[in-house]
Amino acid sequence: MPAVNERFTVYCFLASYAIAFALEVLHFLRPRPIVRLLSLVFGAAGLLAQSLFVAVRPLDLASPFGSLVLLAWILAVFYLYGSIHHARLAWGLFVLPLVLGLIGLAEIAPAGPEPSNGGTSLWTSMSPSWGLVHGALLLLAAVGLSVGFVASIMYLVQVRRLRAKLAPGQGVRLLSLERLEEMNRRAILWSFPLLTAGLLAGIVLQLQHGAFLVGWSSPKIIITAGLWVVFAIVLYLRYGVHARGKQVALLTVIAFALLLIALVSVHPFVAGGGP
Amino acid sequence: MMLLAVGCNYRQTPIAVRERLAFTGPKLDLALDELSARYGCETAIVNTCNRVEIYLGKNDAQEAPDVHLIEEFLIQFHQLGGLDLHPYLVHYTGPDAVKHLFRVASSLDSMIVGEGQISGQVKQAYELAQERATLGPLLRALFQHARIVAKRVRSETGISRGHVSVSSVAVDYVRQVFGHFGDKTILVIGAGKMGELTLRHLKALKPQRIWVTNRSPEKAAEVAHGCAGQAIPWDQLDDALGRADIVLSTTGAPEPVVDRRRYKDILARRTGGTVVILDIAVPRDFDPDIHDGDRTCLFNIDDLKRIREQTLQERQKHVSPAEAIVEQEVKRFLGKWQQRQHVPTITKLTQDLEARRQAILTELFRRLNGKLSEADRGQIEGAFRLLQNQFLHGPISALAEDSPEAKHHTLLEALRKLFRLEE
Repeated sequence: MPAVNERFTVYCFLASYAIAFALEVLHFLRPRPIVRLLSLVFGAAGLLAQSLFVAVRPLDLASPFGSLVLLAWILAVFYLYGSIHHARLAWGLFVLPLVLGLIGLAEIAPAGPEPSNGGTSLWTSMSPSWGLVHGALLLLAAVGLSVGFVASIMYLVQVRRLRAKLAPGQGVRLLSLERLEEMNRRAILWSFPLLTAGLLAGIVLQLQHGAFLVGWSSPKIIITAGLWVVFAIVLYLRYGVHARGKQVALLTVIAFALLLIALVSVHPFVAGGGP
Repeated sequence: MMLLAVGCNYRQTPIAVRERLAFTGPKLDLALDELSARYGCETAIVNTCNRVEIYLGKNDAQEAPDVHLIEEFLIQFHQLGGLDLHPYLVHYTGPDAVKHLFRVASSLDSMIVGEGQISGQVKQAYELAQERATLGPLLRALFQHARIVAKRVRSETGISRGHVSVSSVAVDYVRQVFGHFGDKTILVIGAGKMGELTLRHLKALKPQRIWVTNRSPEKAAEVAHGCAGQAIPWDQLDDALGRADIVLSTTGAPEPVVDRRRYKDILARRTGGTVVILDIAVPRDFDPDIHDGDRTCLFNIDDLKRIREQTLQERQKHVSPAEAIVEQEVKRFLGKWQQRQHVPTITKLTQDLEARRQAILTELFRRLNGKLSEADRGQIEGAFRLLQNQFLHGPISALAEDSPEAKHHTLLEALRKLFRLEE
């Protein structure tokens, strides 16, 4: 009989989320309460399977697989909460593709080198507490940015609908522009300090490791720094020059693209993963 | 089952006649009581501005009262001597009456298909009849089922999606842009009559403040007074536009009040979020090119009317699926009603067999007194119960499968069907 952790594979929850998404699309095309309910049931089943997967398998936050699966897991909670809280909106149509995409990316992303010292990465072995702080802060920042990304995509769709003067009751039902902008603003406001603190924790890690100048040319570090700069620009535009709406939404989408590249890049602190 | 629906509606009957046939105020209570007493039927009346319909039902009768009698009742009750109601009245009986009520409740028979008021009005008719104790099992079940059908049609089709009044469409657009209104400012430009209804709808959103401006300060003050707003001078229009969140423009100006260049300057100074401009003036007050769907959402009267027309057309696409739901539900209701009629027979049959089984077992155990263990007695009782259940299974299943359209059987065929002899 296979062990519990072998029974929960990525495909268990990937399939559940895919069915939930297909049902969301079906519900959008032909609204039926039962289809909506089934979609929620499959979404919840996927979340349960993924929770068990996360619980029984130690995931390394420094690896692309670990960070992407954990990010997808938190966003799946966000999906389920949103789908219940905003039952009349097309929430799942926007959040589920992101969850599915992140899990898919986790499967195809480079696995990174195998941990060299007894099952733990160099990242965790060299300074577990700072490593955890660094990883957790960046993960939370990624969650915030992902929420901001979803809000931005919804915002851009809503702007498109309004520009075309489509009938309010037709097509996808979304939050108002104001609510979506607020959601994006809050997500960025939460993410920026977390990202900054995560980067500072990374610097402390480098210093503790005694190799402050090592690894700076790593794509992961360069892209993460670039992400921080984009974030700073977004905040300046929002609060410095009172830019609103589409401009901020587009920059958030760019920041999310950078985040994805940073997440799939191999961490320089992982043994063999440096430049 | 006897079921009759008699009445008039906007299709056949002009408003002048509908007005005279309407059961207003205490007349409705009186009519319910009188109809119920006169014909010994369950009675309900659906009374709206577009229809007056009387529903009569009786479970243990087959013949409906003559429609001419109801016509006479209406003439007497409303004192319409000399008026020939015959051309105006429509009537439905049996399954057609069921279908008619389901179509009415689902707003398929409404002047504006998909309107939401009618299901509430059908509910009111039910509640009033319930209050007057003129409902019985048939109409109670029928009206309750009508509400289920209306709900199903609303949730499973897009028939009630969108709004069909210009003011409601305007508010729908405003809601697509803003999530809360307690901190919003509405600016009303001009004092056109056309804007009154829209302003009333916007006011219902409970904005923080309403500003009114007009070339004539007196008119501005008058409109501001009417909507609990604040009049502001016409020369502060640009400043107000830079600070307002929702603009309702209804001037009678022959030229656009705000052209593109002027608006660009206003927008450059603006620090707030998106502004929604509802330009319902003809000729238009704002240059249509300022609309970008992001910082400025401009909707003019043609946009709002186009959405209303689109919504009505879109609703038409959902009529056919809605009619299919109604057909399904009519069959379901009639089937359930038919089965409900069988309940007393099934109960009697079960009780009768139960009594016979008990009598036979009592006699058997008396004869075999002392020769049976408790286990033996249990087994015999179980075997008899099994036999009884197997015996009843055929007739009960046959009744459950029975439908109003089922063909009549000969005695022999019925026997085969009841006891599954053909299987």
